[in-house]
Amino acid sequence: MTEAVPPTWRLPPVPALLIAVLLIACAEIGGASMVRFKLELTRWARGTMLARPQIHGLVGVRDVDEQIMDEALTRFDGGLRLFHMHAEGMGTIIILTTMVAATWAPTAGARRALIAMLTVGGAGYPLGYLVWAALIPFRGVEDGKRLAEWLVWIPFGGTTIIAMWLLVAVLVLQLRGGRSRTAP
Amino acid sequence: MYAARAAAHHVGTYTPRDNDVSANFKQLKFSIEARKFDVALRLYDEGALRKELRARAAQLPGGLDGAIRAALQRDDAPEAERGLMVFVVALARDLALEADRQLADVAAPADVRAAAGRKFLEAIWRYYNLVDFAVTQRNAQAATTVRLAFDEAEGYVKAATPAPDRLREPLRRIVHALTGVIEASSQSARRNSS
Repeated sequence: MTEAVPPTWRLPPVPALLIAVLLIACAEIGGASMVRFKLELTRWARGTMLARPQIHGLVGVRDVDEQIMDEALTRFDGGLRLFHMHAEGMGTIIILTTMVAATWAPTAGARRALIAMLTVGGAGYPLGYLVWAALIPFRGVEDGKRLAEWLVWIPFGGTTIIAMWLLVAVLVLQLRGGRSRTAP
Repeated sequence: MYAARAAAHHVGTYTPRDNDVSANFKQLKFSIEARKFDVALRLYDEGALRKELRARAAQLPGGLDGAIRAALQRDDAPEAERGLMVFVVALARDLALEADRQLADVAAPADVRAAAGRKFLEAIWRYYNLVDFAVTQRNAQAATTVRLAFDEAEGYVKAATPAPDRLREPLRRIVHALTGVIEASSQSARRNSS
């Protein structure tokens, strides 16, 4: 019985790594900006919402309107926080998954397709939270969410999900074939 | 497809917060329950509730501010609670009146009026819920009327096809029941003081 040679991990292409690291850097800038410009951001969002009373369903009664504004501002802040967290997480996931794809994809074409899907999907998905937060003052909580969903979350998130399952399939095929990847 | 409600991505939940008046009401209520009347008096004198009460004095039973203050000074918990209840019930009633007035504007689209009606109902319930127990103790029939009317009103705005026009009837029942609570409480207060 021969012992399998330990696999050597291949690095993902530099553009994929650059996008992943850039995404993490944007997450950090986003997090820092949320703290530094919290007052300015809230003031801007509040002013933009007050200029569009019909979109937000403001009725001119303080007891009703203050709750509507509070919910929208909480969601706005939540969108920025979710961007910060998802951008950090997805940046790391891009690095990890593209490394797996670069190492285990059976052909050069499959490797390129998988890396492209994982990078584009992973980098685009967190931007949906930023888009949602930016849309809330202009379109309202639910309409902003619908737009972000169809424009960003579904296409980019869907791409990532498909790429992940393709990666799973690649690894299962490798396992079934009984092949251990050796150093190139 | 775009019109469909976006529910695939969880973006957290929102829990409505107390406003200054409801937060001050809760502080007062807990201080009175703990029989810390000196604390309650300070919270009343300095709090948002009294400021709002004075601003709305014209729509409230005469002497309500003085009655609450005097009750706190003589450590009279039931009377202080009654006065606070009357004020909060009046806030809920005024919201129901305003909701009825705005829903009467048929120029606005039905979905817009339904959305406004839903927001009004949420605001009415936030106030009424603070005093539901106190109202039930003093006037169980009125409390039941308010709750039933509220459930009916919610059904009209949360239905697949909202019916904002039908919302006005339960709102009027809420206004009527709450006005009765205010008047009955004010009369009993006058009887007690004479």
